[in-house]
Amino acid sequence: LAATESPITARAFFERVRAGQLTALKCGSCGELAIPPRQLCPACHAKAWQPVDLRGEGTIASFTIIRVAPRAHAGDTPYALAVVKLREGVSILGRLVDIPLEKVSVGLPVRFRPLVIGNQPTVGFGPS
Amino acid sequence: MRRVAVIGVGVTKFGLHDRTSAELFAEAAQDALTDAGVPATAIQALYYGNVVGGETEHQLHTGPQAASVLGIPAVPTTRFETACASSHAAFRHAVMEIAAGVSDVVLVGGAERVLNVSTAESTEYFAYASDAVWEQPLGLTFPGVFALIARAHMEKYGTTEAQMAAVAVKNHRHGALNPKAQFQKQITIDQVLRSAYVADPLKLYDCCPFSDGGAALVLASEEVARRHRKPVWVLGSAAASDWMLLGDKRDLSRVPATERAAAAAYRQAGVGPRDVDVVELHDCFTIAEIVATEGLGLFEPGAGGRAAEAGRTSLGGEIPVNPSGGLKAKGHPIGATGAAQIAEIVTQIRGEAGPRQVDGAKTGLTHTLGGNTATVLVSLFGRD
Repeated sequence: LAATESPITARAFFERVRAGQLTALKCGSCGELAIPPRQLCPACHAKAWQPVDLRGEGTIASFTIIRVAPRAHAGDTPYALAVVKLREGVSILGRLVDIPLEKVSVGLPVRFRPLVIGNQPTVGFGPS
Repeated sequence: MRRVAVIGVGVTKFGLHDRTSAELFAEAAQDALTDAGVPATAIQALYYGNVVGGETEHQLHTGPQAASVLGIPAVPTTRFETACASSHAAFRHAVMEIAAGVSDVVLVGGAERVLNVSTAESTEYFAYASDAVWEQPLGLTFPGVFALIARAHMEKYGTTEAQMAAVAVKNHRHGALNPKAQFQKQITIDQVLRSAYVADPLKLYDCCPFSDGGAALVLASEEVARRHRKPVWVLGSAAASDWMLLGDKRDLSRVPATERAAAAAYRQAGVGPRDVDVVELHDCFTIAEIVATEGLGLFEPGAGGRAAEAGRTSLGGEIPVNPSGGLKAKGHPIGATGAAQIAEIVTQIRGEAGPRQVDGAKTGLTHTLGGNTATVLVSLFGRD
């Protein structure tokens, strides 16, 4: 591993997503967790990242239901997006699936679900 | 560092135009030069904001393009892109060029053209200001970003959709007094609450429109400005950034970049929120105005919605916010917005704002937010 590379590139992160695994970086110096890619630890500025698997369990911190979409997603409306606070402490934006829109609420427990949207692996969350 | 003043302002009408963004800027710049009473030959540099010219007009290199269309092709130009805060970033750098003694007279401005493409296209292009790997593939939109902020604010503080609607109604009431505004008609709380959801809990009338338009400012050193009829001094100008990814923002109910930029600008100016008489701030969505009034220290965190509903931010209220009509009613040509906000505050401080004049306005503040709240600029202005 070259010293100037983040141990998990964006591409590697999404390959792991496609395989069903959410991954974070843990700072070997201070323990800070981050979502890759990231070069330096924002807390202690060390470069001592180690990849760690996340359990994929969390709760909805905030959500919205998109009804006017960008062109590429126009056929999907309405769809829900949520910022999910994962059990380990980091948060990620994801698309909600298999949860009726009227049941979505702040605090709702959800579980990571790998998604492919327009041939791109991306982050989804379904019922816990 | 030398003192810097705004000595000329110009703004086109905002709304649908059949001219290029460079033509819109040139109209505003001509008006700003006339207002300043300086010839075009006095301009030593152009600092220019434009955001989606590459997408909507197939035009990059928009700095020299704008200078050429204005007719000052030889001046050095730099185009700034900090999403919706672009021409406020351009302004801050122009201030620094004059303060540092490099130039005495600098033209600042910006322009945008988006109404020549469909709403679906412009929604996509604006979303380019969010992360292309993490967030765009999910179908995130700009109303979506501020809907997530709104939901977090409602959960934490009990902010209501009616309080957000009060911001829209107030800004339309102000916009009806502004002949340059895209919407010059009043609306009611019921109209806002009955409008269709765009990204729950935000409805169509919580959102600013897509707009074409241009704005320009002539900045000058103190020596040049002293010869002008009504110089308005730049008391402070600061920028701040925050995480790009929504998931990395620690508390979606707040905008830390606003709090940081405001603290720096107040410190430079030697004033505080209580000293400010009039504010133009970034109300791209109604919730954005509520959160900004809190981040700027005008109200405590969580109190912005109630303050708007009680009329405290209306013309005639204790701290009038967005007398121009704001982005909501005046319109939001994204590359022009920062400069247009400054033009309004300069006009207010000169006492030349007509029916929307804030009585006795001596100190004014502008706040411009870029995209997903990752860029904020705050500037303060005053008179002798």
